[in-house]
Amino acid sequence: MTQRDTVGLLFTAEMYGVQLDLLAARLGIGLPAARAAAARWRQQGYADSAQLGPGGRWVWLTQAGLAACGLPYRAVAPALPRLAHLRAVTAVRLALEAAPRYAAAGGYWRSERRLRARMGSRVPLREHLPDGEVHWPDGTGADWAGECWAIEAELTRKTVSRTAAIMTEILTRTGDYGCLAAEVRVPGRAARHSRVLYLCSPAARPVVLRARAALPASLAARIEVRVLPASAAGEQLPRQPGHRVPT
Amino acid sequence: MITRYLGFLALRAVVRALGRVISVAASVGLLVLVLPVTLAGGYALTLAWFLGWPPRQLYRAAAWCLPMLAAWLAALAAAGDSWAQLAAAPWTAWLDMWHDLAAGHYGLAAVTVAPPAIPLGLLAGGLAWSWRIYTLETGSGGLSPSAPAAFDRRQWRHQVRTARARISAPGAVPLVRRDGSVVAGATIRTVRHPARPLTAIPYPRLRSHQVVIGTTGTGKTTLLLRLWAGFIRRGMQQYGAGAGARPLLVVIDCKGGADSRRIAERARRVLRGAGAAATAIWPDEATLSLWALPPGQLISTLSDMIEHGTGGAAYYADVLEEIVRLAVTAPCGPPASAADFQARLDPDWLRLAYAASPDATSAALLGTAARHVTDVALRFRTLLRRLGGGLDGPGSFGDADTWYCILEGTAEITVAEAQARALADLLAWYAADPGGPRREILLAVDEFSAVSRRLPIWQLYERARSLGLAVQVSAQSWQGLAADEDERYRVASTADGGIWLLRTPYPEPVAALAGTRRVVDTTRRLLGVPLWAHEGLSRAEGTPVVDAELIRGLAVGQAAYIYRGGVSYVQVKRLVAGPAQLSPAPAPEVPVPAAATAMAAAGAARPDAAGQPGERPGARPLADIGPLLDEAFGPEPG
Repeated sequence: MTQRDTVGLLFTAEMYGVQLDLLAARLGIGLPAARAAAARWRQQGYADSAQLGPGGRWVWLTQAGLAACGLPYRAVAPALPRLAHLRAVTAVRLALEAAPRYAAAGGYWRSERRLRARMGSRVPLREHLPDGEVHWPDGTGADWAGECWAIEAELTRKTVSRTAAIMTEILTRTGDYGCLAAEVRVPGRAARHSRVLYLCSPAARPVVLRARAALPASLAARIEVRVLPASAAGEQLPRQPGHRVPT
Repeated sequence: MITRYLGFLALRAVVRALGRVISVAASVGLLVLVLPVTLAGGYALTLAWFLGWPPRQLYRAAAWCLPMLAAWLAALAAAGDSWAQLAAAPWTAWLDMWHDLAAGHYGLAAVTVAPPAIPLGLLAGGLAWSWRIYTLETGSGGLSPSAPAAFDRRQWRHQVRTARARISAPGAVPLVRRDGSVVAGATIRTVRHPARPLTAIPYPRLRSHQVVIGTTGTGKTTLLLRLWAGFIRRGMQQYGAGAGARPLLVVIDCKGGADSRRIAERARRVLRGAGAAATAIWPDEATLSLWALPPGQLISTLSDMIEHGTGGAAYYADVLEEIVRLAVTAPCGPPASAADFQARLDPDWLRLAYAASPDATSAALLGTAARHVTDVALRFRTLLRRLGGGLDGPGSFGDADTWYCILEGTAEITVAEAQARALADLLAWYAADPGGPRREILLAVDEFSAVSRRLPIWQLYERARSLGLAVQVSAQSWQGLAADEDERYRVASTADGGIWLLRTPYPEPVAALAGTRRVVDTTRRLLGVPLWAHEGLSRAEGTPVVDAELIRGLAVGQAAYIYRGGVSYVQVKRLVAGPAQLSPAPAPEVPVPAAATAMAAAGAARPDAAGQPGERPGARPLADIGPLLDEAFGPEPG
């Protein structure tokens, strides 16, 4: 088990499952090498893989793999209706992590799966979980040091009112996920998320922009909207040397 | 003459003794002659006695040996034996065994005779065991008058030990069997039920009404959790296979307090393992919306939640209901929240709302009832304040697979009664809503009699029956089942899914519902202390199917399942819940800016400074993150 394997397994576990091209991009290796790594994990019983949809094969961790990583998640294959969304979120994470300013500021991605695991079965009935959080530690010199951002990948259009409600919910939350119900929203306490970063498909972008416009200015100012990276749609990623992981 | 008579008596005694000796000698000789069968039968009999098995277990074991017998005969046939030789094979095997024993080849002798001797021995052991049970049950066996009772007590102990061993074996007691029935635990003993190692309840019975009675600390919660988990697991299986609707379990715990909350947390973990995606604990963590009820139902629910007397107070009840109707059916639509409803209980608001309404009757009523509106508003303000936010939404039963509703029936009876009434109405509306999602609903109510003044439990029962809901009523005693004896009998006798009895001091009424069975009772002549003669009379008589004494003596985790005039005594298998939710880490991973912390502290110190959640009061201005986003995602279009 090399360090690259460890990084790959942890990355795969956090993202529910990844397609091989994205895994290759994360590890800074070629597609054949990623395929070989996945085959090795499968042989060791740590992972499973299958052709779940269009594009490359998907890899996800088995219960043994999750246990080896020390993660308390339940092993499930990525659900078919969520494949596109999972790919989009992974692509957003990779694009963000590839930015030099991200590395310089010491950003840390906290996945939706981790948030969900913190809540256990207490995921409240209508509560929305972001697709990820990025935490910026203090003392790095970045202007946004000390902040926490919520990440939302929007592929499909929701209604403006629903999108605005989600934005408000995220921006007004004060407690961590998994906290006591009484601490979720406490008047006078600082917001948990300094900003929300929306990465939208061309179809969803107008709705998100309209929802942002419908919010009070104090909340709207904390919402950033960008277009999803091209890799979210399934195009092959070029190998990113910045992500090369030592073997 | 006397001498002759004495001589005759002596001769008769000698002949009898001789006859007995010959009979015993013949029996012993026969047993020695068929030594392999004797050994196998003796072993089987001892095992059945020691483990408390029913004879059927030995017959089944004998049947499972038949493939071995067939294989042995097939091997002989393959070796060239004719049909006649095959028919005589057991005989020749028996002869060969004796030859091998004489030659000192004990192992070979055992192997030679085993194929026919083992099944025959098991069969003989089963018959002997069956005869032993029969003679003791009918009172015709045993050496002393107390032998049948002692035998029964001893066998109960053996059966309990076997059942406990079975449930402690890993994987021996699944939650749901392949045929979809829900396994409650290992069978201790059955009366007029099939004797199987595990007691399993077919899923449709869980979809019928059930009653559970057991005092505190007898394992009632363990049993209920298992039944609930089985309902969810099997329901989810059927739902996944497209053979049924998604299951919904609603538990109304009318005790309240810390104990209920501990059980709720345990239920959440157990049910999560069984397949419930979300468990909502009401009102602590989830809310429902009373205001989602259709206006007509909302009027009657709100009116019934307010306590009013009888006699002269009936007039007041009518006035109250009319004012509630005016507020709910105002032309602007029904109220959306408690605050909205309370705002409407104002004469000026109602006058304004109905000013432009063509409904002259309502306007006229408003004129008459206006002087009472303030009083009604006061009563509802008090009630809604005491009810808290649990019924003020948002939320619906469709939001989770399991709802655990905690009513403070011990501490706040009037509030709990109002809540129970509202929850029952909400659930009934949810189940009957033709446009809503179809769910298979199990409503489990614990100690409902504590809060059933406004909604008698039989009414809940009948209502649930008409809506296709299954109701599971549990109580600590027969008296706790309902308010009066008629209601108790009505609840117990309509439990067509069966009755579960755990240890309780007064099981007689429920035991009587199981009826009686015909047994043979034998009186025997006493020869002298403590021996019995072999002469006596037998007669058939009725005896209760459920032994009330046995129920009173049940240990923790033991239950009697009464269904259709039979009973199965079960050692309930405890479901192991998943690990408890870890408390959030003390040191937040979210770096909180010092300025924000200071402001939060300031806000806490000055209540008037506390603004809306997450408004970031006084936080520093946001930095420009455009360069970072440009690096990651490219420049913003347009």
